[in-house]
Amino acid sequence: MEKQVMEYASGNEMATIAIKQIGYDLMGYYPITPSTQIAEGLDTMKAGGETDLIMIAAEGEHSAAGICYGASVGGGRVINATSANGLLYALEQFPVQSGTRYPMVMNVVCRTISGPLSIKGDHSDIMFMLNAGWPILFAKTAQEVYDFNIIALKLAEAVRLPVIVAYDGFFTSHQKRRCMRFERGEAVRDFIGAKKEEYPFLDLEHPITVGSYMNEPDLIGNRYQLHLAMEEAGRKLPELFESYGEMSGRSYDKAEGYCHEDADTILILLGSSYETAREAVDELRGKGKKAGIVTVHTLRPFPYEEVHEYCKNASCLLVADRQDSYGAGGGNLSIEVRAAMQRYGSIVKIKSLIYGLGGLDFFTEDAVRMAEWAENPDTPDFGYYGVDENAGTGNGREAREEKTVSETSKGAEKCPEAAEGGKKADAPFFAPLTAERTRIGATSVTESGEGFAQVSGGTLNATAAVPKRLAPGHGACPGCGIPVNINLLLRAIEDPVVLLFQTGCGMIVTTAYPRTSFKVPYLHNLFQNGAATLSGLAEICYRKQKKGEIPPGDIIFVMVSGDGGMDIGMGSALGTALRGHRLILFEYDNGGYMNTGYQLSYSTPKGARSATSHVGKYQYGKTFFHKDMPQMMAATGIPYVATMAESNPVDFIKKAAKAAYYAKTTGTAYVKALSACPLNWNDTPATERKVIASAVDCCFFPLYEVEKGKTTLNYNPEQAGKKIPVLDWLSMMGRTRHLQKVEYREVVEELQSEIDRRFARLKAKSESPIL
Amino acid sequence: MQQEINETKAKTRLPLRAGSKYYEIRLESIGGLGANLCGKMLGELGVKHLDLNSVSFSSYGSEKTGTPVKGYIRYCAKETEIRVHSPVIHPDLLVIFHQALMQDEKVWEGCDENTEVILALEEGRERAAVPVRVKACYGVRAQKIAMETRSRINVVMLGAMAKVMGFVPLSDINKVCEAALGKKYPDALKGNLEGIRRGYEEVEETAGIGMKGSPGTDGREKTDRKADRKSAHCPAKAVSPAMPEGGINPRFGSTVVADLSPSRQGYIPVFIKERCINCGFCDSACPDMVFQFAKGEYNGREMMVNKGLDYYHCKGCLRCVDVCPVNALVKGLEAEHPDKKYFLPNQDLLRKPDYYIEAGPDGYITSESYLTEKRMEGGEV
Repeated sequence: MEKQVMEYASGNEMATIAIKQIGYDLMGYYPITPSTQIAEGLDTMKAGGETDLIMIAAEGEHSAAGICYGASVGGGRVINATSANGLLYALEQFPVQSGTRYPMVMNVVCRTISGPLSIKGDHSDIMFMLNAGWPILFAKTAQEVYDFNIIALKLAEAVRLPVIVAYDGFFTSHQKRRCMRFERGEAVRDFIGAKKEEYPFLDLEHPITVGSYMNEPDLIGNRYQLHLAMEEAGRKLPELFESYGEMSGRSYDKAEGYCHEDADTILILLGSSYETAREAVDELRGKGKKAGIVTVHTLRPFPYEEVHEYCKNASCLLVADRQDSYGAGGGNLSIEVRAAMQRYGSIVKIKSLIYGLGGLDFFTEDAVRMAEWAENPDTPDFGYYGVDENAGTGNGREAREEKTVSETSKGAEKCPEAAEGGKKADAPFFAPLTAERTRIGATSVTESGEGFAQVSGGTLNATAAVPKRLAPGHGACPGCGIPVNINLLLRAIEDPVVLLFQTGCGMIVTTAYPRTSFKVPYLHNLFQNGAATLSGLAEICYRKQKKGEIPPGDIIFVMVSGDGGMDIGMGSALGTALRGHRLILFEYDNGGYMNTGYQLSYSTPKGARSATSHVGKYQYGKTFFHKDMPQMMAATGIPYVATMAESNPVDFIKKAAKAAYYAKTTGTAYVKALSACPLNWNDTPATERKVIASAVDCCFFPLYEVEKGKTTLNYNPEQAGKKIPVLDWLSMMGRTRHLQKVEYREVVEELQSEIDRRFARLKAKSESPIL
Repeated sequence: MQQEINETKAKTRLPLRAGSKYYEIRLESIGGLGANLCGKMLGELGVKHLDLNSVSFSSYGSEKTGTPVKGYIRYCAKETEIRVHSPVIHPDLLVIFHQALMQDEKVWEGCDENTEVILALEEGRERAAVPVRVKACYGVRAQKIAMETRSRINVVMLGAMAKVMGFVPLSDINKVCEAALGKKYPDALKGNLEGIRRGYEEVEETAGIGMKGSPGTDGREKTDRKADRKSAHCPAKAVSPAMPEGGINPRFGSTVVADLSPSRQGYIPVFIKERCINCGFCDSACPDMVFQFAKGEYNGREMMVNKGLDYYHCKGCLRCVDVCPVNALVKGLEAEHPDKKYFLPNQDLLRKPDYYIEAGPDGYITSESYLTEKRMEGGEV
């Protein structure tokens, strides 16, 4: 047996260690909870020189999958990690990779899929992969995450298929436990062996074509080969498990059981719940009940034979799924188990339950109750465990009012209104924000003689009278810039407002069910697609108004997105701008993916520290320049593009008013504000406005507008005598303070000259109407 | 992270309840106080220094500064397999990192006469009622010690925990602290070790804390653990809110019921109205819509006038103090302003959420739905 050492680590950390030891060539990734820690951990190792893995931060999971595909075609050893909607966003890429037979490994850290959005764990994401042609190993402990990652690559290269290692988000990915790992990375690499390529793509003397256009008789042949490869994986796995067991002392089978041999009732569960349920089995056995439990380690190829073998003596099976195949009378594991038993002629009673969705905790007691459900002849064959039958029916409101009386009586002392029958509790907190209430004339826009918008009013005092569209009580961190910027934007807009938020901090902190901060209509969509969604919404509104189905009158449609949403949703936003829908695209740019714990975004300043651009001996922070989104938007030819900063609040308000004017009359307006993030900028909440002012004064974030193609520099720090070197601004934030050190002088100089270059171009543009 | 298994160490004896194989700890905290790291250090402590088996994890969610966080740690004999993945319901040790959390009933869930409690006490607020009967209650002036030693509350609590648990040598706590912080923040290590030491030495049983029985908890301490756990955590019995389909939320503006005052770190903006020129900078810089401007008169001119602050929603970021051009807003110690002048609840509200009345400005209601139990204001339960 190979020598091993103990680690106290989580599933994500064990995946990271395995990936490092395997010595992969490349990782293409996009951060998504709960899989993000893998890329973060590897980046830390990279900064410290522990690995030379190429890490490519894509602008979205679809691109990440493409990067991985390209790298594996090129013969590299490739790794990816994702979750939930990240997996679904990349979904179309996965059959491409398996169909053209390029091996790699992807960790899927299972999380529930949107919407409504939740970040917690269930199996609704991984089950979408059942038909993708990827073998899927499912690890239920942090130890198995490590072991299966090593086995997965050997399997992938043996059968030339990409392989998934899946495990429970949070329960397995984040719980730290005692685990073992091999002391020597070479031992791991020896076990996997060298990669063999039958048709090396980069052998220029023997050129090959990958990805043919293929007609029907060949295509079914190609799919048949894929089927055979999957069968081969099924045969290969026992060998791999055995040789790995010899090396590690940990042996696995495609399925696993506990007290199943003589059990009358067997529960079948996937993932960490299996471990918890083993306690329940002990408890039931203590009471003289013959209960057992079974799980599978491979979802694809599905271990039909093993499952039947493990379950054949039971008189009743209960398969509990952490996802539902809606309309199928069970989750996918349930369907597979039914097929397995039928295949071998079993007539055992099988019941199916759906449980634990969205990370709802699973206790030992739950497993005991499930066993009782299974044995009880009066319980139905299929049901949702832990859901009130009255929930989700159309008459939810009435049901809730009744419940307010019956269920909250315990808290009646604290909540007299609820005890009154919940009537008062349903009354609104605020009066609706009608046009009469918001059109107070604090800011007004007219057309000047030259055809440009002209704003009057817009003072801070006068616009304080515009009722806020956002209610207080949101959960943003103290000093957060997002609500500041949204309020500055909306106080300039006196017409009724409809908001769409893309995924991000702004959305998470305002809409945690059952509360919402919004006093106006609000819609969330995932951040690949907010702009497109809003264009559809706006168009149907304009149509309904035209047909007289809803009252006429101006309504301003505003998409609110972070800079992260403007990375992954760049295509959707540019497309919307090119089509020219009448709406506002508003970007709050805090220079990072703050909602997932500050990974680099394309707007993060070069040299800045982030969770995916660590600073260490071998790495100085982010390696490329901040994205110039306003110029990209200006190139679409939309009537209005502007940048604004809270440090110049009146300028901010005027630009917001202009954006609304153009959204109302002409087409798309794009406005972008620099937004403070005290938590991840690592500075003081109180002084954020000064930090923003410095970003403007060093010209990192110049204030300008492009109105009908004409650029105007609204504030020139050089003329105002306030121009400062970029390092002055960088020194104000913990994330960039290291750049003061002499060894980073070159990085700072590069950033300074890029800023100067961009500012010089802006000045030239503002001086010439042609530019 | 890595370490050879220490074979020579004497076996730690865990004070286990009858019938239990785990010693279980629950940390109740607010994002930003370091409970997450504290939990990790405790977990490592078990495996690497106490020759135990252990597991540690936190409540999962989008963690913003100021939102509630729970940490869970289980210890058991080295040979015992830790199979359960569920949160700690019946803690042997409950550690509360912020006094405001005491008012949340959920914080006390599953506590009984076997539970020892450690509270982080705030200056000037050393009396606090514990709503359930517990084995013993200890207090430590964590914020004060943290300030004086230039450490953080989490390490002070770690020291206090070592003392109360009884089976953890201070030297081992120091070792995990060195491992966790020494490399990353070598300059801060000395202060943190001092914070641990003072937490260890200064934690004491708080006789002043009343153990009152409260509605809904009377008699619970006598129910057997299994039955209690079932009622608390069996989803089959749980109330699932009847909700509009699709997760639609018709309660516009309902976050207004949230009292955000626990997010404050001891400071508030103090409003000196005589100086105010009603420029509106404060309103433009406040992320939490604290400032209540209304039509009024200033210097003989009709304009929007700053009438006061809604301290319920003030997180104490002090942005307003920084931007005020005339020092009409100044930084003040909250403890020195128990009655806040110009405290004005949100003027746009049609009605006061009763929680305002019940809990007062120092009350605590979580902004996270997963911690709430009763549906009342704003549709949350």
